Amino acid sequence: MRDTSKKIGYFCSLVPEEIIVAAGMQPVRVAGKTDAVSTADAYLYPNLCPYIKNVFVTALDGGTKDLDGVVFARSCDGMRRMYDTWKAYVNTEFIYMLEVPKNKDEQAIQYYASQLRDFAGSLGQAFGMKIKTEALNKAIKSTIGLRRLMQSVYDLQKKSPLPVKGSELFEAGLSAIGEDRKIALEKINNVYKRAKAIESTKGKAKKVRILISGNVMDRPDLFNIVEEAGADVPAADLCTASRYFDRRVEEGGDPYLALARAYLGAPHCSRTATPGERLAETREIVKAYSIDGVILTSLKFCDCHLHDIPYISKNLTAEGTPVLFLENDYTFSNRSQLKTRVEAFIEILNQ
Amino acid sequence: MLKKYYKDMKSGLEASYKQKPRAGTRITMELASSFIDAFREDVKVVWTSYYSFPMELLAAFGVAPFDFEIATNILPTFDPGRSVNIMNRAEEEGYSTDLCSFHRLAVGCYLLGYLPRADLLLTTSYYCDGKSKTNQALAQYYGKESINLDVPNKKNRESIDYVSSQLKSIVHKLEELTGQKLDEDRLRECIKISNRARRAYSQLAELQKVKPFPYININIINLCIFGNLLAGKEVQEQIYLDMVKESREKIESGKLTPEQYRVLWLAWYPTQPTNINEIFRKNSVSIVMGELARNFWGELDEQHSFESLALWCLKNPFVGPIGQRLSGIMQIVDEYNLDGIIHFSTDACRHSCAAQRLIGDAMGKRGVPFMVLEGDMSDKRKYSAERTQFLLENFIEVMAARK
Repeated sequence: MRDTSKKIGYFCSLVPEEIIVAAGMQPVRVAGKTDAVSTADAYLYPNLCPYIKNVFVTALDGGTKDLDGVVFARSCDGMRRMYDTWKAYVNTEFIYMLEVPKNKDEQAIQYYASQLRDFAGSLGQAFGMKIKTEALNKAIKSTIGLRRLMQSVYDLQKKSPLPVKGSELFEAGLSAIGEDRKIALEKINNVYKRAKAIESTKGKAKKVRILISGNVMDRPDLFNIVEEAGADVPAADLCTASRYFDRRVEEGGDPYLALARAYLGAPHCSRTATPGERLAETREIVKAYSIDGVILTSLKFCDCHLHDIPYISKNLTAEGTPVLFLENDYTFSNRSQLKTRVEAFIEILNQ
Repeated sequence: MLKKYYKDMKSGLEASYKQKPRAGTRITMELASSFIDAFREDVKVVWTSYYSFPMELLAAFGVAPFDFEIATNILPTFDPGRSVNIMNRAEEEGYSTDLCSFHRLAVGCYLLGYLPRADLLLTTSYYCDGKSKTNQALAQYYGKESINLDVPNKKNRESIDYVSSQLKSIVHKLEELTGQKLDEDRLRECIKISNRARRAYSQLAELQKVKPFPYININIINLCIFGNLLAGKEVQEQIYLDMVKESREKIESGKLTPEQYRVLWLAWYPTQPTNINEIFRKNSVSIVMGELARNFWGELDEQHSFESLALWCLKNPFVGPIGQRLSGIMQIVDEYNLDGIIHFSTDACRHSCAAQRLIGDAMGKRGVPFMVLEGDMSDKRKYSAERTQFLLENFIEVMAARK
């Protein structure tokens, strides 16, 4: 019997959790749980991604003790260093660095597939089991089911007026990547049913539609700020939102290759895509969801995202889509400041 | 504007070399020439990373390599005020001041029309995310494809094959660009030349253990950053042999200033004018080694060109887990009779700065004094001479106490 009580943490949405599910374990995307990250400065350094620092302090404080293992991805410079620092200062039974290529061509896909096989082998070896192809295919199928359900809700969110509040959908989505699968499925299913019901009743006033596009976000603060300012958030292009749920894994054939292809495919974050590709993907969302304005947001010190912001922002604005750029510190400690800027942005859009 | 700086730089160096032919001057002349060549109309200009891309491959094609990081960040050396104005242009465009000043300066130069043509833009996934993202942004502005040589953390069969296959794809791009097929004999020859240069370099590295050693401080840092530009070219071996000869002569003369403290410099050295050298001179501190100045790669195998160039990339101290970098640092500690280690921490260099604690702890266990010197490579707004003096003098006291 597989031990379903074991939990494996991961940090980046480019880690295919299907492999962890196939091992009979629970994948948990690790979120930072503290409001004070200054301890991290002593281990990492101040000008580093606030998500990384928060997660690291959470681990130092014992907040990841329930994890039997953690999987890092070669996602960015900060994550590479957190892997080194975690190995040195946090006691975790199984620590693995997954080689996620920075390229996404066929060579990179083939290489990534080989690394996913290595990951499956290492996970199995660490916990005295072997991940079988049938189990992986089953995990892929179940994850497709979860994602399809969310994609159905996303499709409903293309309607205007918006069926479900963006903040509510975002929180339901977060549960899928941080909690037990069954609970998450139930939550998303409830949202879906309500969205369908609301869709049929209609009658709500149309509001300004905002796309929130950025990297990692584990709190709904920005959604709440936008909604409190009188706008809707029909789409969220985030690692912890559509970038997780919009992944399409093909069934049949080599499951590792299918996973590699899907995870290196769209939707991309700035770590894997060029500014031009990010702009093209953002344009598609703007069109599909009838977006009136885009809030580009980034964690502070995220080089990948910060480098893309000027290009995306300038082009979207030139094409007639207003853009607001907001940096955040992961905990949204500057909430009041953000509120003022969001309110002003929405006021302009309402004119 | 940049082209004029490069021409002035080259003519100044040539005059100096004529008066006093020194290998260190010659290597900087070669650097200036490479910048000037990038403005020529009759050559294909390939943007790349001098310090991380296997340059033997470009040497085999005879293209003009151009590194936007190195080329634009020469500017703060001559004109730090103007460099800030150029960075301001990038910041006005939306490039955050939290991004590396090296990259803000390069983007600013592009926006002001100072950069040469780019026929092909290729870079490496290491050292940092910032370099490859800047390459992408510049490629986007130029309407060109950006090519990224992706070098994994792990050093195993799959990684070697993956990097090798990417190098072969890059060769196809170069063939398309130049209209000529790769001459495999020429590549083998470039690798042989590179191996000869490596042997000459090893002699220099051996001499560096002698106390006092003449070729120190910024020279040694520049050597490891600029040296690879010439990989695959005869001039690289010649320069290293000249350095060996000059060093031997100086050592044998017995007239060198005594070294009080020998330090290893980690990460990068500022390109903007600083008071570091002056403080070192006053206190007889010598940087005798840089972590990239260590001969970290073995002989390249010309019979398996792509594989050996892939391995060269994978062995870089900034690739892989921190253990790879640390073992290199430990080797230098063991071999170079050091009194201390200084990590220059430019605030946007995440991959290097986020390892400071790990390096510091490892050095603590070895009993080697270690300090983090915060500053900025090229943005004078983020550099304090007073703070640098305070921190360095304190560190010198620590080293003195251990003597």
